[in-house]
Formats: sequence, structure tokens, C-alpha cells
Amino acid sequence: MRINNKKSCAIFKNIVSMFPFLFILAMLILHLALPDKTFSKGERRYLEQWPDIYIENVLNGSYKTSIESYFSDQFPFRSFWVHIYENSNQVLFYLY
Amino acid sequence: MVFSSLVFTFAFLPVTVILYYSLGKRFKNIVLLTASLFFYAWGEPVYVLLMCGSIMLNYCIGVLIGKDDAGRQKKKLYLIISLVLNLGCLAYFKYLGMIVGTIASIGGWNLNAAAPALPIGISFYTFQILSYVIDVYRGEIRSQKSLILCALYISMFPQLVAGPIVNYTDVESQLPDREQTINNFISGMRRFLGGLAKKVLLANNIGLLWSEVKAMPAAEISVFMAWAGIIAFSLQIYFDFSGYSDMAIGLGKMFGFRFKENFRYPYVSQSISEFWRRWHISLGSWFKEYVYIPLGGNRVGKWKLIRNLFLVWFLTGLWHGANWNFVLWGLYFGTLILAEKLFLQKSMTRWPKVVRHIYLLLFVVIGWVFFEFTNLPDMISFLRAMFGVGGNALIETRSIVKLKAYAALYIVCIIAASPWPKELALLFKRIHCNIYRGAVTVYYCVLMFFFTAYMVGSTYNPFIYFRF
Repeated sequence: MRINNKKSCAIFKNIVSMFPFLFILAMLILHLALPDKTFSKGERRYLEQWPDIYIENVLNGSYKTSIESYFSDQFPFRSFWVHIYENSNQVLFYLY
Repeated sequence: MVFSSLVFTFAFLPVTVILYYSLGKRFKNIVLLTASLFFYAWGEPVYVLLMCGSIMLNYCIGVLIGKDDAGRQKKKLYLIISLVLNLGCLAYFKYLGMIVGTIASIGGWNLNAAAPALPIGISFYTFQILSYVIDVYRGEIRSQKSLILCALYISMFPQLVAGPIVNYTDVESQLPDREQTINNFISGMRRFLGGLAKKVLLANNIGLLWSEVKAMPAAEISVFMAWAGIIAFSLQIYFDFSGYSDMAIGLGKMFGFRFKENFRYPYVSQSISEFWRRWHISLGSWFKEYVYIPLGGNRVGKWKLIRNLFLVWFLTGLWHGANWNFVLWGLYFGTLILAEKLFLQKSMTRWPKVVRHIYLLLFVVIGWVFFEFTNLPDMISFLRAMFGVGGNALIETRSIVKLKAYAALYIVCIIAASPWPKELALLFKRIHCNIYRGAVTVYYCVLMFFFTAYMVGSTYNPFIYFRF
């Protein structure tokens, strides 16, 4: 019984320690699962969509740039993260 | 791909990890190699072909040199071919613009050479390739028979774009098979997050102070502000580069690799020589192993020693960028190290510790001026401002207001650059308690949370060392 306890305790610890990685996975899955948005009301602009591939834009690097902005525009709960970012900046600004 | 980007952290990394651990043992290295080439192609869709060519060539040369029945002459010939091609490639892509520009300005001609774009990480992977080929030639290692493993060594994505420079001998036994435990994976992940914290939270923010100071006209900078600015830059470049190395070492660990440390708290050093044994260790030991010692190292006469030191430091400076200010920066350190070797060393042991430390910090910080200003007149006017030669104010209210905003961050950065936080953590670790473990776990979760906010909130975020 005790050994069992120890074992499950170790498994529990490992899972807890893995949280940051599990969080990354969860975000990726959510990103894939949630439908892409087209417009952001808060930012008053159209959000980047999944770009079409052409040999030309792959070679000149514009495809990569589009994917990167697609990724940040369509990130799950984007407005929540931006909100946290701006507020924490403000808090830091007051602290200094 | 930059490590501190959303695409890397939230797409590339998890997909690679899952494929790596879910496919069988036989596919592990293939997954890692494919991921690495994809990683490189992401930033360099054209130059990835150059890298593949380079891999093929050096793989063949390695095998040819490593053949038991190859004669001495033949081995030497292969080595020379490899050196010429690798260094030629580096010279063409990195230094052509500098060479042409210098010739043009000396001769007063109007030469226009379209300098090619610099392939990312070429300085790093060329040095890795050379260490492999030279070691095979010296007979210290057997050549790598598997093309996949050879390619993996050269292109492994954690250290591909900004080091550390991993010597082949250090990873030879790890390449074919690596033992991996969950604890190792977790500690690698934590190392990665810690490096990310150095980059995103410390380097980027303290860097803002320096960019503000740098943007001011030199005549208006007060002496106090000039020093505050360049010290901020010293902290920025340390956190930026050592943060990158931490991320690389951490990522390597997540895939079972053990890379050597690249930084060991350089700013606690007490002499210039010690500083260079703690700063960018992999580069310093590369030059020592493949340039300094083959030239005779320390065991030569005085004049030869001077020649060797200056050659090594000329090259070290040049390696950091294709501009003469980097050469100046290298020679500056060469001179200081020579002075230490020839006469300072003996008297220095009698100096109080504080004096030695101040001496080191003073010269290193002045060195960063040479490093940061690519243009000579700007460099000189900034140095004048630092020493108050140009009639700059010593201190003024405007600079106090500006610095007040950075005071807290400044103190955090100085503490973080010292080994104290680690010593404190080790102290707690010795007292076996769950509170400590819990606190560490929570700490990394909080870090992860804030990075996500930072990475989503701020879009663009380049590394300083990407220039090389």
C-alpha cells in the first residue's frame, strides 16, 4: 500500500512539474480546434488568415511572416493575453 | 525561427517533442534531423541548400580522411580542401562586403559589390564542422559513417543559429543513442524557460534604457547617463546571449543531449583572462584548441607569444562581426590579456579583491563601447562623454528622472547576473522540503503564463546575436 502511495506521489509530482509543457500542448490543441476569427473588435482590424502557399512567397520569406502573424492573431484567448500584457506593463511602470 | 516566438514555442516545439517521443527509437534521430532542417529552412528557405551541400561535402571529407589506408599526404590534401571551402564560404558570405569596402576606402575607388545576405548561424556551424574535420584528421576521433548522424551534429536546431559551439568529441557518444528520463526532460524544460526569462524579462527591458541613451546626441549625454547606459548594455548583452545559450542547453536536454556550459557568471571575474574563461566558453575554447595551441600556445618565446595572442584575438574580434570595430574590440582584449600575462599577473594577486573586480568591470564595460559602435566617430564621441572630455555635464536632473524609472530593474539585473540566486536556491534545496519543490514548480508555471502574455502582446523580438 505504501509503495503504491509513493509511486502515485511520484507520478503526481511529475505531472505537476510538466504543467508548462502541458500548457503548451493545450494551447496548440485549442488553436487547432477553435475556429479562426476574421475581425477583432478590440483592435478594430482584420486578423491574419492562413496564407496560401506559392513557391515565390516561400522563397522570399513573406510566407513565413504571414504564418507568424497568423499565429499571433489567431492565438487562443488572444485578447486575454494582450490584456494581461498591458496591465502587467502598467503595474511595472508604476512600481518603477 | 526565434526561440522566443509563438510559432516556435507553441507549434514547432510541441510537435517535434511529440513526434520524437511517440515514434520508435529508430526514428528519433530522423525526426530531430528533419525538424532541424525545417527549422533552418524557416528562416533561410534558400540557404538551407547551402547547408545541405556543406553537410554532404564535409561528411564525404570526414569519411575520406578517416580511412585507415589513406596516406598522410592524401589526408592533408583533404583537410586543406575542407578548410578552404568552409572558410571560403564563411569569408564570401560574411566578410566580402567588409573586404571590398576596406579596399575601396584605402584606394579611394568607388567599388560597389552587392554583398550577399548572411546565412543565419553560418559562423557557428562552420566552426562546428571545422572542429569535426580537424579532429578526424588528427586521429582523435573516428569519422562518422552515418550521414544522418553527421548531418544531425551539424544542423541540430537547439544550437544551430546562436551556439554554443558544440565540439564533436563532446557529443560523439550521444549521437547514436541517448538515455532519457522524465526528470531530465523536466529540467531541460525549466532551463529553457529560465533562458527565456533572461531574454524576455531582463535583456529586452534593460535594453530599452540603452537604446534611449544611444539615441541621444553625444554632446547632451551627461557622464552619469553615459555610464548608466553602457552598463545597461553590458547587462543586456549578457542576458541576451547567456539566455539564448540556456535555452539551447535546455532544449538539448529535452532531447537527451548534454551540452557544455557556455557562461559561468562572467561578471564576477577578477581578471580579463578569467572573464574570457567564463564568457562564451565554447568560442574561447574553440580558438584555444584549434588556433592558439597549434601555433605553440604558451610554450614559446616572448615574441611568438605576443604574435599568437594578437592573432587569436584579431580572429576572435573578427568572428563577432564583419566590421573593423569588432577587430578593435578583439585587439583591445588581446592587449589587456597580454599585459596580464607579461607583468600584471604577479602584482594582481596582491591587490584587494574589490580592486581586481572593479578593474575587470571597468575594462569590460569600456570594451562594450568598441563592440556596440560600428562607426568610429560615434564611438569616440561616446567615449568622450563617458570621461567628460567634451564638456558634458556630470549629472543633470533629466538623467536622474530617466534612471529612476529603471532603478528597480537595474538592481534585479545586477543580482540576476551574480551567482547569488543560484546559491540561495541550492541552500534551500539542501533542506529537503516540499515547500521548496512546490515553489519551484509554481515559479515555472508563472513564468510560462507571463511569457505567453508577453509573446502574444509584443510581436517582434529579435536576438542581438543574430547578426553573427
